[in-house]
Amino acid sequence: MEALGRISPADCVKLCHRVVDGLCGREPPCRSDYSATWSLEEWLQLLDLLTGLFRLAVGSDIPEEQVLAKLSDVDHSHAEAVLTVLKARHEEIRRALLDRTNGISSATLQDFDWQLKLALSSDKISSLNTPLLSLGLDVRENGALRPITMELSREELSTLISSLEAANKVVQQLK
Amino acid sequence: MRFRFCGDLDCPDWVLAEISTLAKISSVKMKLLCAQVLKDLLGEGLDYEKVAKLTADAKFESGDIKASLAVLSFILSSAAKHDVDSESLSSELQQLGLPKEHATGLCKSYEDKHSALQDRLRETSLRLRRLDSVSWRVDYTLSSSEIREVNEPLIHLKLQTHRADPGSSDTTMVSISPDKFRVLLTELKQAQTMMNALQ
Repeated sequence: MEALGRISPADCVKLCHRVVDGLCGREPPCRSDYSATWSLEEWLQLLDLLTGLFRLAVGSDIPEEQVLAKLSDVDHSHAEAVLTVLKARHEEIRRALLDRTNGISSATLQDFDWQLKLALSSDKISSLNTPLLSLGLDVRENGALRPITMELSREELSTLISSLEAANKVVQQLK
Repeated sequence: MRFRFCGDLDCPDWVLAEISTLAKISSVKMKLLCAQVLKDLLGEGLDYEKVAKLTADAKFESGDIKASLAVLSFILSSAAKHDVDSESLSSELQQLGLPKEHATGLCKSYEDKHSALQDRLRETSLRLRRLDSVSWRVDYTLSSSEIREVNEPLIHLKLQTHRADPGSSDTTMVSISPDKFRVLLTELKQAQTMMNALQ
């Protein structure tokens, strides 16, 4: 962690924000921006340490003093910089860790889209006039996205909604 | 000449030819045959023994039996497809040379099953995956290797879907975070409101 001392506290705040970005599934810091400051090995080690610290601090909810104790080998202004970022992004990191928790050993819903359409005619019947809802679910399974699409009639949609509402009732009670 | 029950097109030659086959059996027998064909069209299956009995005294060969079943099936499903009323169907069939008694009998059966037939056609129209059943479970996550105290619910859904051909059912298991779940439910309800407003 001492290596952190090679950049200014202001740059340290920037770097920490990028590390948190990476932790939350956005773009992580770019090695080439810091290639003059640290060797590859130092860089990887530093990233590991910072990421680990943020995850531990939020995941185990450890108090500030303990975080500072873990940063004892850098000077005070750098430690404060890390701590500011931690405080500012605490909730965001927690969300990311919750997402990881929810993703443990199961397929999770990444995204969904729907489309309401009116089927006008078919080879079986010339005036069909049936509303259909196309529902597309993007399911993330073992890291890969699997798209699932279905077409729901009015009855099927109401079956789905009543099931979801029953589940939702339980979720609401938990809050 | 164009016919409404053929979708305002010419009557196919084979139908024209087989209408004369239909005229060979009595109108009563033909009406009973109609009932069998309707059953088949409604997905209840054909009783081949009965069909053989009905056509026995007209000395039908198996080719004639197949032809009369095919032509009845065409007339009934095509008329339902194009939403032709029974009176028009009757007059069009008579123009094609089906005796009046036969046409009346056929149209009586058609009229009785008209809406059931259309429902069936609507139901069997092309559709991508259909939803069969939904199962759900709500978990309350206490702790994990990522966070010591989670205390958040997690919703698991199992969706069973199938394609048009039988035996192609597919099960999807998915877990959804409470926030996403709420959005999903709200949006589906919006879609339902719009869908209901369509009629």
